[in-house]
Amino acid sequence: MAKSMLIISRQAPWAGPSAREALDIALAGGAFDLPLAMLFLDDGVLQLLPDQAAGELQQKDITANLQALSMFGVDDLFACHTSLAERGMGPTELNVETLQVLRDQEIAALIDRYDQVITL
Amino acid sequence: MKFAIALYSPAHAPSSRRALLFAQAVLAGGHEIVRLFFYQDGVHSASSSIVTPQDEQDVAAQWRDFVTDNQLDGVVCIAAALRRGVLDADEARRYSRPAVNLAAPWELSGLGQLHDAVQSADRLICFGGP
Amino acid sequence: MSTLHVLSHSPFTDTRLNSCLRLLGSADAILLCGDATYALSASTAPRQALEARADNLLLFVLDEDAKARNLPLPEWATAVDYPRLVALSVQYDKVNTWL
Repeated sequence: MAKSMLIISRQAPWAGPSAREALDIALAGGAFDLPLAMLFLDDGVLQLLPDQAAGELQQKDITANLQALSMFGVDDLFACHTSLAERGMGPTELNVETLQVLRDQEIAALIDRYDQVITL
Repeated sequence: MKFAIALYSPAHAPSSRRALLFAQAVLAGGHEIVRLFFYQDGVHSASSSIVTPQDEQDVAAQWRDFVTDNQLDGVVCIAAALRRGVLDADEARRYSRPAVNLAAPWELSGLGQLHDAVQSADRLICFGGP
Repeated sequence: MSTLHVLSHSPFTDTRLNSCLRLLGSADAILLCGDATYALSASTAPRQALEARADNLLLFVLDEDAKARNLPLPEWATAVDYPRLVALSVQYDKVNTWL
């Protein structure tokens, strides 16, 4: 049975390549049909803001890639409620509809459920 | 146990040296290293162009020797490497770049190798940051 | 399942320690290494936060980093060397490094 992996993305979308490189791990694993999930935590939840204009910075739009996750079989997406609240973000106003918002204790349980975790 | 070790920081970061010392302790403890995978700024830890003052630790050289001496699989993520200007001879030729700064024992490959290592190993340990 | 969380960033400039403490599971442990060892500096908020959990948090510290910084360790923290760190990574089900 394949080992499962949780990828925790903690960086804002344009804080360097980290957000993109976390996503790439998920997409690569999805391409191999591996059981994966992504959790957006701390500044990582800023990737979930709608109506961003990445073109202004000559950057790629991360929203399209986040929405592509399910095409690669990565359907389990989570966001930290505390991180959202700290940044004035409502749980229903995010750019990915199929995402679950979790409280802190639920996140501890989430981390426990996966065989491996990468936090970047 | 089988270990997959992933490094995300350059040779001058304390975490690169820490990862190396950990990897050495893994082998000394009788365990196996399935693969070393260098990602994000970790690609710089595989650079062959690093010059350190004589009175400082040359961690990149130590990594190279460690992989060679123990015949380990040392993989550098190609996408992360290209983005950061770490190129082997093939890529330098492909993209007409003036310098080659990645050589044996390091191999450029994709993130699939990280996943493959994680699937084969009992433990994944990541090192990065300070 | 038990996770060993690894932190190396200074707690004074960074939120990783706080986030880690929020999300810690009951069977989890923390390893402080690099600049994260400054969390044990006397009379600081990070030290107080860790001390408050001393009864049910297993706290490990990479010995070379504490010694380099001349940080005396409280009795509720355990110094480890690299062989011991390898043993910990075997003992815990997984290692989560806060990169």
